Amino acid sequence: MSMTVDPRRKEKINRYKAPKNQGQSGSANEDMMPDYMNILGMIFSMCGLMMKLKWCAWFALYCSCISFASSRASDDAKQVLSSFMLSVSAVVMSYLQNPAAMTPPWAS
Amino acid sequence: MRPVFAFLLLALLCFASTKSESDFEEDDSDDFAEFDDGNFYAEPAAKNADSFSGGAGSSRGESREDAPAKEQRKPAQNVESDEEDGLVEDDDEFEHFQDEEEFEGYDGGDSKDPPIDQKVEPKLNIPNIPLHFRTHWDSYWMEMLMVAGLLAYFANFFAGKAKNARLAQLWFSTHRALLDENFALVGDDGKAENENPGLIKESESLYTLWCSGRTCCEGMLVELKMIKRQDLVSLVAGLMRPQLDQAHIKIELTRGVMDAFVFAVGTKKTITKVFKEYTDLNKFCSLVGKPEDRYNVPTGFGVLSEVPEATSAILESRVITALNKYQSYIDYLHISDQFSGPIQQEEGGTLKQPETKAVLLAGFNLPKHAEMETIKPLLLLIFYLMERLKTYRMSKEGKAKSDKNRQRVEEEFLKSTHAARAEAAAQRREDKRKQEKERILADEDPEKQRRWEAKEQKRQAKRNAPKMKRLAVKSL
Repeated sequence: MSMTVDPRRKEKINRYKAPKNQGQSGSANEDMMPDYMNILGMIFSMCGLMMKLKWCAWFALYCSCISFASSRASDDAKQVLSSFMLSVSAVVMSYLQNPAAMTPPWAS
Repeated sequence: MRPVFAFLLLALLCFASTKSESDFEEDDSDDFAEFDDGNFYAEPAAKNADSFSGGAGSSRGESREDAPAKEQRKPAQNVESDEEDGLVEDDDEFEHFQDEEEFEGYDGGDSKDPPIDQKVEPKLNIPNIPLHFRTHWDSYWMEMLMVAGLLAYFANFFAGKAKNARLAQLWFSTHRALLDENFALVGDDGKAENENPGLIKESESLYTLWCSGRTCCEGMLVELKMIKRQDLVSLVAGLMRPQLDQAHIKIELTRGVMDAFVFAVGTKKTITKVFKEYTDLNKFCSLVGKPEDRYNVPTGFGVLSEVPEATSAILESRVITALNKYQSYIDYLHISDQFSGPIQQEEGGTLKQPETKAVLLAGFNLPKHAEMETIKPLLLLIFYLMERLKTYRMSKEGKAKSDKNRQRVEEEFLKSTHAARAEAAAQRREDKRKQEKERILADEDPEKQRRWEAKEQKRQAKRNAPKMKRLAVKSL
């Protein structure tokens, strides 16, 4: 398996091109986790804000954390940030409206 | 004169009575307006009525309550809907206490009555405070749990991120020398000036490395797919379905370097997965039964082959030895001249066959204890395969078979898109005709228009004519 001649060719250098199909077409390598978590977080935040469900707001916070942790470097940071802000505001608002301790969904 | 005087008196009386009635009505309506406005004096007003019916209110409290109600009436009579009412009232709300006329006859009574709080203890109503206002930190155990979970998540995030970065760097430093020997360019970020040659961080668990400038290939993309150590949820999920760190290598071969065939070898699980997923494997290959006997691959491996001759040429003794030796580290090897990525779901829209490339793909598992040296020979295997593809040429029969396969696939594709292509062609014709019509109509030459219409009619007639003819033949 040893190379006898130098296989390097300077004239054959091609520069790196980022794959075009990122974000679209469900290719096998595409990791959809951040997108799913983003949407789930948004739904939970809305539930938390509208229906005053504290556990929803907390779940939204977790979802945005997961979305942040698994986001790609090329992804839009604004999206992650806005998802974070929304979930944090859901938590804050739900405790401002009713500072009572959270009751888990199975207890109510 | 007398009847006139009497009539005048009557008229005056009537006027007076109607005026008082209208006043009363105005009063009423204003009362409701007050009710609408604030609800503040609704109760006192009711009490006021009570006190009138039950005689003079004796207690101070009652008279106080009466007073604002009375005060309310004053502005209500002359102001229709003044919203600043409240402000004006506030200023002289207690003015009536000084008003002599207001408390006529009450002075004596007030001075005689001893103050209430001297005799009886004031009755204090303490409302029940809801339970949650009493600060019991114990009741917030769920919140504490949530915050603790968040802290744990972030602690794990930083730890996992650092570990992934360390592993990726370790892989790169181990293989660096070998890569430098084989490629003129190692590590490229795609920017005009290669700012930081080396691994590119795509996400916290995905690192890529681009190498280029070698014979037989256009470039090599290494993707280091780590376990998502930065995500605690994925780690917990990984306990149920264990995952491994993986290195995926994609080499784009120069056109014409390799002969036309498609081939894949790998663990059975991966092979069945990619067989369903990738277009080229799905269309050209078939799963080889009993590959252990036929090609001597290690047990637990599957082979997808298009041309048996090419498959056995690739799976020669050295490759088989490597496969046996590094069985646990090799996930798959995929060689194809027709690679076009995963199968596209929406076939309807595509009228052209997808672009194909000649590629050599490989997936390796990284060792668990960061002993990167153990998998270094796998990269050598890749380079060896590349050289092998360059030198290997199929026999005539093999070439004929692969050509036949490519033709078959193309025909199948054309057949499947026939209806869509016919529709597209009809649409194109129609568009062309419309354009021509518009052009003729825009032209201000009536003679030309007439000629075009005649031509168009002729065309229509011609289109219908053969049908008629056929009918006539049939009737005969």
